[in-house]
Amino acid sequence: MFVLVILVYGAVAALELWLWAERPWKKVLIYLLLTAAAAALASLIVVYGKLPVPEPIGFLGKLFKQWWQGGGKQ
Amino acid sequence: MKELVPDHQGMILVLMFIVGNTLVFPLGGLAGPDIWLAFLTATVLALPIILAMARVRSLMQGSTFFVGFERVLGKWPSRILAFLYGGFAWRLACYVVSDVSNFIQTVALPTTPPVVIATFLALLMLWAAKEGVEVLARFAVMVGKVVLAVLAIIFVLLLSQVDLGEFQPVLYNGFKPVLRGAFQILDFPFLETVVLFWVFDCFGRRVSPYKVFLPGFLAASLVLLIMVSTSLAVVGADRYALYYYPVWTAVGRINVSTFLTRLEAIVGVTFAIGSFVKMAVALLAASRCFAYAFGFSDYRFVVTPLAMGVIAGSRWFITTVLEVDQSAVETHSPDEIMFQVVIPLVVWAFAELKAKNGKANGSSQAGGGEEV
Repeated sequence: MFVLVILVYGAVAALELWLWAERPWKKVLIYLLLTAAAAALASLIVVYGKLPVPEPIGFLGKLFKQWWQGGGKQ
Repeated sequence: MKELVPDHQGMILVLMFIVGNTLVFPLGGLAGPDIWLAFLTATVLALPIILAMARVRSLMQGSTFFVGFERVLGKWPSRILAFLYGGFAWRLACYVVSDVSNFIQTVALPTTPPVVIATFLALLMLWAAKEGVEVLARFAVMVGKVVLAVLAIIFVLLLSQVDLGEFQPVLYNGFKPVLRGAFQILDFPFLETVVLFWVFDCFGRRVSPYKVFLPGFLAASLVLLIMVSTSLAVVGADRYALYYYPVWTAVGRINVSTFLTRLEAIVGVTFAIGSFVKMAVALLAASRCFAYAFGFSDYRFVVTPLAMGVIAGSRWFITTVLEVDQSAVETHSPDEIMFQVVIPLVVWAFAELKAKNGKANGSSQAGGGEEV
């Protein structure tokens, strides 16, 4: 499944790049980077199932919950 | 190339974006019977943010969005903000796709894996986002009429099932549940409107942002208030917050002489149409933001990788219908407060300062000219 996901993402990227009229290297680079990120995420989800979601400012949430006990959730 | 959206089309796009995927969820369930008060409170609390966004866009009049934004904040701060909001809009697209795929799986296709539905939705929004905001706004006008007509018919048919006693007693538990319900509604869907700030490329006149954001937001607020309050009056205040899809359940109770029944499928269709507009707008915003953050004026080349990322992302942030429900009723998530309240207000403050300094410089230069 992991290989299949990578292949599908690669095939879609290759097809679209082939369809572009011009291929400036900067655009191609960004396109490939984003596609690689999407493929990596998809394959990680396929392999591990549930992935933790990063919370860069999650500590603020804990702070709010300390201030307002029970608020916000049913 | 400038993408200009007429005011009335922009207004309908805002309306459809807010109503979008929200209709079926138990919005403001924490407020209980005082849900209408929660809606009014949330509308009043959201207005300053909406007005601040409109004001910032108004100060950029005449220039395309990112040119105007760079003038306000400078090159690198605006690129960093665009990158952050690109992530926020992409996450919103993932949420909406997840909402719809889980909804379809729950009510219609229980054996179909959500990822299959998400793939089809991603293809659709990819197509819409590549067409641009002008086409999306015209589409919103076209389907907006259908959605509003359907909702009006459903409202009339629901009146036979309504029990106004469900709204009483008013403020029995004080104002705190109202405030909590209002925060729920602010978080989802009212202040998600910040994503639209990044979607419109330019406006026709200086007052256009006000004419787009304000009436669109107020109309959406009114539509949601009517539909949600009616649903609560049908299913009951106690059960409203317990159902995953209370509007769906309420509409299922419509029975006109045993002839007109099972109309909830119509709600499903309006939900799907609204969600499509919302996810396409979110993907468009994400594409515009990321392309600009990487230094490109054309955004269409990043739409496909981002849409492919949404398929995976829709299974990352939310996987089950329970999580969908929790995400719809959760409030005061810190990143959402940051993106929906803090940053828009900071940007507005910067824009005002910049405009004031610009005026002062302009008048001093003009004054200098007179002396010479």
